[in-house]
Amino acid sequence: MKTYNTINLEKKTKISGYLKRWKSIIYTVLAALLSLIVLIPLYWVISTSLKDRAQVIENPLGPPVEFHWENYPEAWETGRFGPYFRNSVLITVPTVLGVLMFSFSAAFAFSILNFPFKEGLYVFFITGLTIPLGVLVVPLYYQMLDLKLLDTHWAIILPQIAVVIPFGIMLLRSFIQEIPSEILDAGRVDGCSNWLLLRHIVFPLSRSALLSLMVFEFMWSWNEFLLPVVLLQTERVRTLPLGLNFFHGRFSTNFPLLMAGAVISFLPVVIVYILFQRQFVRGITAGALK
Amino acid sequence: MDTRKVKALRETISAISFIFPALLMYAAFFIYPAANLIRLSLFKWDGLEPMVFVGAENYIQLFKDSIFWLAFRHNMFWVLGAVFVPVTFGLALAILLTRFPLHGKILFRTIYFLPQVLSSITVAIIWGWIYNPVYGALNQTLRMIGLDFLAHGWLGDRNFALPALFIAWSWIHYGFTMVIFIAALEGIDEVYFDAAKIDGANKFQQFRHILIPFIKRQLTTIIVITTIFSFQVFDLVYVLTNGGPNRASLVTPLYMLSSAFRYYKVGYGSAIAVALGVFILVLSVILMKLRNANKEAS
Repeated sequence: MKTYNTINLEKKTKISGYLKRWKSIIYTVLAALLSLIVLIPLYWVISTSLKDRAQVIENPLGPPVEFHWENYPEAWETGRFGPYFRNSVLITVPTVLGVLMFSFSAAFAFSILNFPFKEGLYVFFITGLTIPLGVLVVPLYYQMLDLKLLDTHWAIILPQIAVVIPFGIMLLRSFIQEIPSEILDAGRVDGCSNWLLLRHIVFPLSRSALLSLMVFEFMWSWNEFLLPVVLLQTERVRTLPLGLNFFHGRFSTNFPLLMAGAVISFLPVVIVYILFQRQFVRGITAGALK
Repeated sequence: MDTRKVKALRETISAISFIFPALLMYAAFFIYPAANLIRLSLFKWDGLEPMVFVGAENYIQLFKDSIFWLAFRHNMFWVLGAVFVPVTFGLALAILLTRFPLHGKILFRTIYFLPQVLSSITVAIIWGWIYNPVYGALNQTLRMIGLDFLAHGWLGDRNFALPALFIAWSWIHYGFTMVIFIAALEGIDEVYFDAAKIDGANKFQQFRHILIPFIKRQLTTIIVITTIFSFQVFDLVYVLTNGGPNRASLVTPLYMLSSAFRYYKVGYGSAIAVALGVFILVLSVILMKLRNANKEAS
């Protein structure tokens, strides 16, 4: 009787083990099929970028018969992606640094120091979260015109920093507030000034939040389109998205060249995304739910 | 002065020095243009000639402007579509990735989320090609499976331009809703599901009575955020159709810009921006209330 029961149980667990494995295979296949929604368009882009124009017409959906790698240098040259790349870097780097420095030091004061009108000032900053940058492009255009900054990188950098400061302060403050006060008190007892406290205690402990903000801000600034399309006009200062749009207008039917240009411009963000996806996802989630 | 006062004063000065750079940037390049926007909306101005104060006239005109309401309706259509397509799809993917046994969860999440990081111009180029009437993948596929009669100039057709743009946008946006739903679902204690299983609840019942009630607040949050995003749609429309054909895909931000810069009605464009801004502000205040409710609940 006893043996019978054990055998039965073993059989049962074996069967449920098989069932589990099968189930997980079925769901994995389902997930793989769903990922085609992303992968097929990307496959089309990459395969088109390696064809010549005749192949695009004869065989638009299949893989390239022969590989035309020369489309890439050609797109890079005719599309002038070199200067566009440089402009995007020259705008994104100061924007990201500015956002990190300004919002970190303000968030430090809001979470650790005491001063009059603290709450009111914080609310003043947070109000900025309710206004999208897009509605401000008209006054920004005339402001930059007055400041003689129109058609320079500063016309993009300055408002881009300003608009993210509220989000940066909110995100970093909520993080810094979690630091146990004992650690800070220990620093104060040792005679740390506020500046040393920020530099040697709060900064190292906030690294992961700063990294999230950095990756989030990088992606956003790198891809920003509306602000540059209004505030930058000449070829000299054009960013990558603007340049790509211009390229799109010039070669709207030369699909291999166009797709090669698209790949060139999305490669850096995709690499950054794959390397830092955890931070990026955390930045987005914090932005939406905090 | 006693030492405590001196200390407080010193702390205040120190705090000001920490906040000042952020305050300066924020005031000069965010608050100032916002105030200036409201001022501009009260004037009639072509950008060159002296400005003429007209009070609320731009707003009265706006209220009667059928083109503005057309653009607004298109954004409303976008909101309704967004609540169904990217929100539902994002939730479905999040459930698949968190509640079902499968291999390579991180890999799939990475792939699903990928379109979210592409620039909107890249997405416009990809979808512009998919929708191309002659070489586009969509028409090619339709012809291949014998549905030639469905092949279309998608973006050039006034009935299809807006939905076609919306699909391209949804391809970006569902990744955003998905990661937020994943975070929300991972926060549910497994105990509740185990209890339900013991009580014999099937997957659908678990979904209906545990999963949805637990993420109700995040669901509302995402719907509000999606509404805010839907009212700011600009890049894809600008690049792919520029509001055409014959305004069939005109959206409010595009109308704002073309009023101010193409038709040289800066005051009127600003009034559109104020209307849009106020609408989004109201939605954002609702959102913040929800966030606070979230915090109190947790």
